[in-house]
Amino acid sequence: MEKKFEKFTFGKRLDSMLNVDFRRMFTIPFFYIMVGISLVVPILILVMTTMMDGSVTVDPNGNETIMQGFDFVWQILGSVSSSGQDSSAMMSMDLVSMCNINMMYFAVAVLVCVFVSDDFRSGYSKNLFTVRANKTDYVISKTLVTFVGGAMMILAFVIGALIGGKISGLSFEMQGFNWANLLACVISKMILVSIFVAIFLVMSVIAKQRLWLSILLSLGVGMFLFNIAPMVSPLDANALHVILSLAGGTLFCVGLGAVSNLILKKTSLV
Amino acid sequence: MNAIEIRNLTKNFGDKQALKGLNMTVPMGSVYGFIGENGSGKSTTEKIICGLIHPSGGSVKLYGKDYTDVDVRAKVGVLIESPGCFPNYSVWNNLMLQAKNLSIENPADEIRKVLTLVRMEGAAGNKYKNCSLGMKQRIGIAMALLGNPELLVLDEPINGLDADGMRIMREVLLDIARSGRTVVVSSHILGELEKVATHYGIVRNGKMIKEMTAEELNLSCRTFVALKTLDMQKTKNLLGVRYSRVEEDEQGYLRVYDAKNAEEIVSYLYSLGLIVIEIKTDKIGLEEYYIDLMKEKGVN
Repeated sequence: MEKKFEKFTFGKRLDSMLNVDFRRMFTIPFFYIMVGISLVVPILILVMTTMMDGSVTVDPNGNETIMQGFDFVWQILGSVSSSGQDSSAMMSMDLVSMCNINMMYFAVAVLVCVFVSDDFRSGYSKNLFTVRANKTDYVISKTLVTFVGGAMMILAFVIGALIGGKISGLSFEMQGFNWANLLACVISKMILVSIFVAIFLVMSVIAKQRLWLSILLSLGVGMFLFNIAPMVSPLDANALHVILSLAGGTLFCVGLGAVSNLILKKTSLV
Repeated sequence: MNAIEIRNLTKNFGDKQALKGLNMTVPMGSVYGFIGENGSGKSTTEKIICGLIHPSGGSVKLYGKDYTDVDVRAKVGVLIESPGCFPNYSVWNNLMLQAKNLSIENPADEIRKVLTLVRMEGAAGNKYKNCSLGMKQRIGIAMALLGNPELLVLDEPINGLDADGMRIMREVLLDIARSGRTVVVSSHILGELEKVATHYGIVRNGKMIKEMTAEELNLSCRTFVALKTLDMQKTKNLLGVRYSRVEEDEQGYLRVYDAKNAEEIVSYLYSLGLIVIEIKTDKIGLEEYYIDLMKEKGVN
């Protein structure tokens, strides 16, 4: 006689997995440290670059370098794509262009890698995957939860930028964009987190308990895509940029989510 | 119906073949003692049953369904190597995570229930990392018991425990066995396993070499006569002429394996002028049976 088992439906599984992952993320100090760092970093950047603005350094050969800080606060969040004059958050290699919100995607890599790697390092994955023959709910849940975490870090950075701007006395002037554009820019940047989360998740499930490897792989592979963030989310962003980010995010999450799923299915979980 | 049915299971790790066509049958409601030396394939088999590693070949069925079946696997509890707990979480929070993971409706009640079963009621608030090895093993069992699993897979739950920890663990395992669940438990401490198991599977070099019930083990375990005389060496030499297997055991007794009864030996020795000062009949235990079986198979 066949034994009857209660149906563990996809909805029920996903619901419980999300419950566990959100509970975990919001109870680990590491998450709050990352959010705290995201809040403090823009304050430090804005205050320090404003203090050093215009200072001259001379190297042993006698060459002079003039430090150039931000002209206005919003530069730390992005650049105006249409003007072509300012490229602080684009791809040039000066200090101002390197120290901006796009750094947060590196920080998100650390969050995702630590969060996933903890499952394997603690051995929790054994309990988890024994009762979860299907790995899809794990991938979806991890993507969603770390996306929320990453988006919160972006938001913390924006808040930090506002505080930093106030402290440093930089201008909040908007040149070539308005509040709606700025909102679209921030939303696009938050949505773009999903693209990176999907990449970092693949790297994390490849590396499993080897945290160092997952971070290394994530930063290495992510490096190729970090440049898309300023292009897809300029300061003068509009609804189209938001939709573009959303489409890209969905595409990456589904595609790379399937890859993560396959890796979990085909490889050893301990 | 059997809880686990494994047929021709193979697993390769690169060039190394860990499982070589292993067959295993675990009846429902049994406590299955899974025995074998290090590297024989016990843990690999258990990890495959739990879906943690993938077999290279063969079939694994749990309650008649493939081992990847979502609904069946939701009813498997596991303790493999060490409990999967977050070190900085309390015992309660670790159990709560697994309870949420299993969508248990009244998680607090269920956690209290399993903590009582593993004698850990007072330790719920302790941080996991501050727990002793024995406590950690019991937390692992508590975690495996959450969600009222039909099948429990426990890998070496007794190893490394002190005498008191072993006693508590034995009581816990007996309680679990009484609850009617199917339990697969592997251990090197065969004396302890013997107290709880109803079925045995002995694995060697990735193959099942013997499967039997506790009754069958009892029947196949040879009886022996253990005795002491004032001149043990002379007694051993004399008995060695008449009986094919005479050995001295750790307690200083001479064991005669193929004697019909104790009286026969006493009168034989008396006729040779030797006085028996102590004599008893006994049966070899699981551990000795296992050692004998391994000797038969050419393992020292």
